[in-house]
Amino acid sequence: MEKTLQVLNDLVRAGVVSRYAIGGAMGAMFYIEPVLTFDLDVFVVLPQTHGGLLTLEPLYEALRARGYREEDECVNIEGVPVQFLPAYNALLEEALAEAREMRYEATPTCVLRPEHLLAIALQTGRDKDRERVRLLREQARLDQKYLKGVLSRHRLDDK
Amino acid sequence: MKPMETLNREIAGLFAAKEARRRKLAKLPFPEKVRAVVRLQRMVAPVLRARGRQVRVWTIEESAPPGE
Repeated sequence: MEKTLQVLNDLVRAGVVSRYAIGGAMGAMFYIEPVLTFDLDVFVVLPQTHGGLLTLEPLYEALRARGYREEDECVNIEGVPVQFLPAYNALLEEALAEAREMRYEATPTCVLRPEHLLAIALQTGRDKDRERVRLLREQARLDQKYLKGVLSRHRLDDK
Repeated sequence: MKPMETLNREIAGLFAAKEARRRKLAKLPFPEKVRAVVRLQRMVAPVLRARGRQVRVWTIEESAPPGE
């Protein structure tokens, strides 16, 4: 997985994405016990195109040029199916802006804060997201004051 | 047969041990968790494929944990 992250870092260096952060189950796993997942969710901030349109196509193109192919909704990068998700709402924009710099072995990477992972899971609200909320509440070291702010700003405090 | 109270105590002990193990797993270094995920994928993939769901087990090279 280290090689996968090196490719993501290279995409930032090349300006293909402005910023990225790991979210979803793998992001949560920086703070909780290992859980079953088959893909790596990566949230990205894309550079704006001339028309102001946000599209993943330049990202896919850059990956194709590096020899990585799309498989359904993912791109297989060094053996890991990566699903890219643009920051499509205010909560995700904030989560990406405040993501934490971490290391995977020798490679630096960016991971969403546990408070944002919890808020995103609340907002998404599927069964597996509710389970993630429970695990994060039980096992992650949450900054309760910060979490309260996130939930209140994004109108999730009643969930 | 054991009295109910003894059984309840034993079961409560089992659940507490399970919770303690999960807290311990949560504190593992991240690369160790990734190795666990791949092991889970290998275990679950045949079951999911048998149900008709197409899944791909990650083909990543990971350095072995210390001591292995």
